[in-house]
Amino acid sequence: MTPLLETRALSKRFGGLEAVSAVDFSLDRGEVRALIGPNGAGKTTLVSLISGRLGPTSGRVLFAGRDITGLGPWDRANLGIVYTFQITSIYRSLSVFDNVALAAQRRRLRRLADWVALDRAAVAADVEAALDTAGLGGLRDQQAGALAYGHQRALEVAMAMALKPELLILDEPTQGLAPEDIEALCRLVRDLARVATVLLIEHNMEVVLELASRVTVMDAGRIIAEGTPREIEAHPEVQRAYLGR
Amino acid sequence: MTDDRRGLALGLHLGVLALLGALQLVLPPFHHGMVARVMVLAAYAVGYNVLLGYTGLMSLGHAMFFAAGMYGTGLTIQHWGFGAGAGFLAGIVAGLAVAAAVGLVTLRTAGPAFLIVTMMLAQAFNLATLYFNDVTGGDQGFILSGLGLDLFGVRLAFADPAVKYNAALVVFAACLLLSFWLTGSPAGRVLLALKENEERTRLLGYNTVRCRLFAVVVSGLLSAVAGSTYTLLFSYVGSTFGGILYSIYPLLWTLLGGAGTTLGPLVGTLVMTYFVDVASAITTGYLIVVGAALIVMVLWAPAGIVGGIRVRWAPWLP
Repeated sequence: MTPLLETRALSKRFGGLEAVSAVDFSLDRGEVRALIGPNGAGKTTLVSLISGRLGPTSGRVLFAGRDITGLGPWDRANLGIVYTFQITSIYRSLSVFDNVALAAQRRRLRRLADWVALDRAAVAADVEAALDTAGLGGLRDQQAGALAYGHQRALEVAMAMALKPELLILDEPTQGLAPEDIEALCRLVRDLARVATVLLIEHNMEVVLELASRVTVMDAGRIIAEGTPREIEAHPEVQRAYLGR
Repeated sequence: MTDDRRGLALGLHLGVLALLGALQLVLPPFHHGMVARVMVLAAYAVGYNVLLGYTGLMSLGHAMFFAAGMYGTGLTIQHWGFGAGAGFLAGIVAGLAVAAAVGLVTLRTAGPAFLIVTMMLAQAFNLATLYFNDVTGGDQGFILSGLGLDLFGVRLAFADPAVKYNAALVVFAACLLLSFWLTGSPAGRVLLALKENEERTRLLGYNTVRCRLFAVVVSGLLSAVAGSTYTLLFSYVGSTFGGILYSIYPLLWTLLGGAGTTLGPLVGTLVMTYFVDVASAITTGYLIVVGAALIVMVLWAPAGIVGGIRVRWAPWLP
């Protein structure tokens, strides 16, 4: 079977630093994959190359067998590659509803004519559904910037859900969250994993063990190990590089 | 925004237009002509606001779009014998062409770079109109005469104050309602998104380069419509209107009225025009007064007049 996502000898160089070096990575449809590694290992750079935020120095990215290396981030988003930011990136001055509507309306704006005759009711229904799933149902008219931090993270996920992703990339979704919010977010990701493939950058090993079916470990721009969570925990090189044992 | 608030806002806009329509019955001749002029310039400011208020791009070269409409209309009437209707269309085509070219050239710039590039392009445009003064009349310009429209067998001469006023009102109403429609449309929502967080917008699947080009073209188009209308109603074409001052004016009007509010450009243009009128009766250095007004506004009322009203009392204003 063709993997959903594949990178071939993918590299990104920033001046003298090779943040990602010749990475061959592959992800099957339906997986929940965790990407772990120490700070500066190149995790965020790798997913940025996948989502199109950054262009590679060399190498290729394939999505469902198609070479997407030359596509802009917007084209990749429309193919179903959706990225949620490590640092919360929402429209702070817009309402919660408008934040999600920006994501929800995108799928219904395929042709030029759709821009003048958008099915607003359908967009509103999509927005409500995403807000309910994310537990933000009562906050639709709030200004997004005024939300509590946990709700802002949930809003970020709701925006991603409204795009109906094929591949959802979550960059440290639990960072800075209180324990009860982490639990809620894990539930949300599990729900999402039923309909989308998930690639998760995460430092919290409990979350990794709970969510991921497979784990990929990066260090110094390279993949150093890959396997089930249990295998990874036992891997000697991983323990040295990451778990510090 | 919920639908009833949207309806309330539409009612307000139609009410303002009706008020402008009714004003012509009571205004003395001097103010009658002044308000007609304000409406044309306010249409220009509405166009400017699409870019500054709703897309977050500050241009210092909008006079080039205004002048494109003006020359597109004036030159075709003067040299090729176009009628008012055909001249108006020629102005729109000229405006679209200039706006598309500027949009393509400035695609990769934002913030101060956008401001500087638009200013330089406008200066080049303005110098070109001076250089080709045997065609354009340079800074002396030229005066057109006998402009009017034949509508259903009735001759509407633009020299007639009533025709002038109502033509200005129709053009302004069209620009205002287009801007109002934009704020409630999916495209308007994307422009606001672009203003606030461009990278986020890219990753939601919007080609932000194309969105920005769209905003420049719409803004340039409305500005050209205003320039063309100005030529038709006031029978004059001249390079003054392509100069830096006419790039600064719409910025000033928009900021004063409230950038990112649909009614702000009208309020700002009206207040500033009367302000300048009063000031220039007192001193020939009225531009100093204009500058002082700008400083006061930036310091104490950064949201502008309508923007301030929205913050304090009416959050539903588009």
